[in-house]
Amino acid sequence: MKRSIVTGLGIAAVVSLALTGCSSSDGDTDPGSTDPASPAAPVTVTLAGWSLATTPEFQMLADAFHEVNPDITVEVQEYDATNYDTQMIADLAAGSAPDIYVQKNLMNFFTYQNGGQLMDVSDVASSYDGNASGLGLESYQVDGATYAIPYRQDSWYVYYNKDLFDAAGVEYPDGSWTWDDYTSTAKELTSGLQGAGSEALGAYQHTWQSVVQGFALAQTPDADLLSGDYSYLAPYYERSLDLQQSGAQVTYGTATTNSLTYQSQFGTQKAAMMPMGSWYVATLIAQQANGDADTFNWGLAPAPQFDSSTTDVPVTFGDPTGLGINPGIDESKVEAAKAFLAFIGGEDAAKALAGIGITPAYTSDAVTEAYFALKGVPSDDLSKFAFSTHDTRPENPLSPDTATIQHILADAHSAIMSESSPVDAAVSEAGARAENEVLD
Amino acid sequence: MATTLAVQRPGSRLKRRNTLLGWSFILPNFLGFAVLTLVPVIALFYIAFTDWNAFGTANWVGVDNFTRMVGDRSFMVALLNTFYYAAFHIPLTLGLSLALALLLNRKLRGVAFFRTAAFFPYVTSIVAIVLVWNMLFSPELGPINQFLTAIGISDPPGWTTSADWSMPAVIIVGTWREMGYYMLLFLAGLQTIPPELYEAARVDGADAWQRFWNVTVPSLRPTTFFVTVMLTIGSFKVFDLILVMTNGGPGQSTLVLSQYIYNKGFLENQLGYASSISIVLFLICISVTVVQFSVNKRRDA
Amino acid sequence: MATSTPAKTVTTPIADIGRSPLRSSSRSPVSRRIGRVLGYIALAIAAAGVLLPFFWMLMSSLKTNNAVFTIPIQWIPETFVWSNYVEIWQKSDMTTWLKNTMVLALAVTALQVFTGSFAAYGFSKIRFPGRDLLFLVYLGTIAVPWQAYMIPQFILMSKINLSNTLWSIIALQAFGAFGVFLMKQFYETVPEELSEAARIDGLSEYGIYRRIMLPLSVPALASLTLLTFVNTWNDYLGPLIYLRSPEIWTIQLGLKSFVGQYNAEYALIMTGSVLSVLPIAIIFMVGQRYFVEGIATSGLKG
Repeated sequence: MKRSIVTGLGIAAVVSLALTGCSSSDGDTDPGSTDPASPAAPVTVTLAGWSLATTPEFQMLADAFHEVNPDITVEVQEYDATNYDTQMIADLAAGSAPDIYVQKNLMNFFTYQNGGQLMDVSDVASSYDGNASGLGLESYQVDGATYAIPYRQDSWYVYYNKDLFDAAGVEYPDGSWTWDDYTSTAKELTSGLQGAGSEALGAYQHTWQSVVQGFALAQTPDADLLSGDYSYLAPYYERSLDLQQSGAQVTYGTATTNSLTYQSQFGTQKAAMMPMGSWYVATLIAQQANGDADTFNWGLAPAPQFDSSTTDVPVTFGDPTGLGINPGIDESKVEAAKAFLAFIGGEDAAKALAGIGITPAYTSDAVTEAYFALKGVPSDDLSKFAFSTHDTRPENPLSPDTATIQHILADAHSAIMSESSPVDAAVSEAGARAENEVLD
Repeated sequence: MATTLAVQRPGSRLKRRNTLLGWSFILPNFLGFAVLTLVPVIALFYIAFTDWNAFGTANWVGVDNFTRMVGDRSFMVALLNTFYYAAFHIPLTLGLSLALALLLNRKLRGVAFFRTAAFFPYVTSIVAIVLVWNMLFSPELGPINQFLTAIGISDPPGWTTSADWSMPAVIIVGTWREMGYYMLLFLAGLQTIPPELYEAARVDGADAWQRFWNVTVPSLRPTTFFVTVMLTIGSFKVFDLILVMTNGGPGQSTLVLSQYIYNKGFLENQLGYASSISIVLFLICISVTVVQFSVNKRRDA
Repeated sequence: MATSTPAKTVTTPIADIGRSPLRSSSRSPVSRRIGRVLGYIALAIAAAGVLLPFFWMLMSSLKTNNAVFTIPIQWIPETFVWSNYVEIWQKSDMTTWLKNTMVLALAVTALQVFTGSFAAYGFSKIRFPGRDLLFLVYLGTIAVPWQAYMIPQFILMSKINLSNTLWSIIALQAFGAFGVFLMKQFYETVPEELSEAARIDGLSEYGIYRRIMLPLSVPALASLTLLTFVNTWNDYLGPLIYLRSPEIWTIQLGLKSFVGQYNAEYALIMTGSVLSVLPIAIIFMVGQRYFVEGIATSGLKG
């Protein structure tokens, strides 16, 4: 008797969950809903953000939008910075997610879009026809429809410490470097700094897989993440291993076991150069202001290139950050939500973002001016060039297999950089795993 | 006929009384347990046969997930690593925690301090623990390798940066962390042994070792059973230690089943597949537990 | 070999009174003392080794953010930033987090201990059909990794409107199988004769539970209380999913909020971690004697 109760409960549970699954993916509103939102009625839409205390961009966008549209209030809800997607997925599954939520990277954008958790916003996108390519909208387009609007587009450059360059007697980057130039300069810097009595090294390579793989994928012609052939990674890894074995940068093993942070390595002048994303500018300025980082002269240089053919418009990588609309949103709020999305991709929002050191998706001279007007941002010509001129390719191509492949490549990264496995062996292993797990 | 009936009826009444009685004790806990844990777990068993991705419908795919598992090389790696970890972690922790409990079960001066010290690793946040151990294990600059080089070992292991030594490093930290926890359980278990038993054994002329084997070990059996089952299940399910310490790496050298489930379920959104792997993990744990259960029961009789 | 005969108390032969039970008389007092001192030294070294991470945590809580992770390890900070301990109360909502964590830990512990020991009595002392199978079901759920059924559980909890409240964590943790299992094992060490005697005396099963079992199992109850308290105190994944509003965050969640998207205030995280370990260490040091001085007698008189 007890057993059948348990069975009955089980069946009920499963059925209700399956039905729940149905309803949360539908996203369509009941056909019976009546008036569309009259723009005059005050509306509140909810927006997901993270680390609100230390990440001002969400509140800033909400406030800036409210000034222009006093009838619409955007309420920011706090999520966890490192586990944002886990929380968001749980909320979407349970139907308690906010109206608008951030697309943190393209890998998870695919998950949301494919799972029917993003509303079609092609009408918003079309109002930007003139600047569509500047916005990087293609990243959010699937089958001809757009599902999110980007508001920031980070790119990777090289940060360099001018004071350490001077101490080592090495010339600053001139914007025409290839990776071989970067490598030899790092070695030069290391011996020059040693000669000058400094303990700093020529370069610092952070432990993430993207530091090597992002560039390799973006810059190597015909490199394809989904092909199962990862030999394009080999030359980049050879150079990284060369740098760490020659002592020009801290080894991967030391960096991971000592939990080195890139902010402290560059900020406290332990390394003269560092490839890193554009988000670090705001952090570095803030840390120099509050004393966590040293005060020194630094600059931005465009990313080193595969070869000298792309020096005019340097190729680099970076995923956009955008906002998408939860299809479960109340019908009456849709217009307000779309208005917000239109705002965040526009020039006014971009200038506001640039004013706090964030690299917006919308590019224009006015935006560049606003960015470099910020106190602490290096104002030399090369930095301006690095910021404004680049061909940024996405780090994560849109596909159901991307997440799995990135995991496989992450394992290859740790195997290679910890020198547990030679480069060629790890690369072919990654290809074999990709075949086995995904691409069959 | 009448006599057998008379014998049977009191028996069935007793059974009914016991059933009601038993359930009255269990009910408060069972209600919460059934609704909040049992129901989702049953749902899990259903999801394992679908291709659910947290949103959308769960489409029935039969045993596809399981056939996929058989051909999945990473799954095999995770399975082997899980057994590797358990095979070493279980006896080490069991031995150490029992030894600690025996050692600290007497009125030494400052025993409170030593017991607290043994328990500290379990109480400290795992993030801090892992950070420090990683630094200790640092291959070039860490104290452990510096010590090893000093005593003459020329090529010390790479620990968490080497695919060969990462699992031993994890096992060491896992054992260090949990020995205080199980020591506590053994300590409590040692309290239930009546001192008269030891007296009787001493009078009979038994020495310390014989007392241990003939009094302590048998009396501790329920506790040992508990510790062994929890330790076994915990070792097969090990997750946050590895996630924070090595994240399955370098390469896949410390990838265990729990992390594989997490990767597939949360990072790659393949909840159906992740559920099917969970069922395999569950079956492993439950079969080992059933074996331990019946061994224990047989010894009881 | 000596077989155990638990039912009778034993009188010590006159000749053995005064003899130290753990040592034979052949060792001289000096070598005994040297042995003890060496033993203490060994224990002290071991304790130091075991406490090493906490020491690093403590020292790091007094550094600046960028000085926490350095090469080589900095055991002693260059400058002691005592203001971290002030800053953490100002900069963060530590009081709220402490309060929430305390509420959760106390509620979950109380519920786990009482319903768990209650259920354990049923499982261990009363025979009814299906008992063993049901117990195996309990055990079985321990064997399922939580990540696997976390999402279905979350959907369920959201449907009954519990998520984003403190009640969600209480509900999740208070009815686990762990407490039932632990107490059942301890009840099994209590001989059946005790309960029989009480039953003959006319005590109901509930009376036996309250008057005999509970007092006897103080060490086990103390262990369960402590372990449940610690587990709830340090729980991170549960609150991450269920406690979203900052007002109901626990300490572990709150500390993670210092890890931003692009930066992390590691020194403050260490400060918070030290503060969060202290209550438990104190509770343990004070309460650990209950594991030793639990039962005075086994209650078995001839």
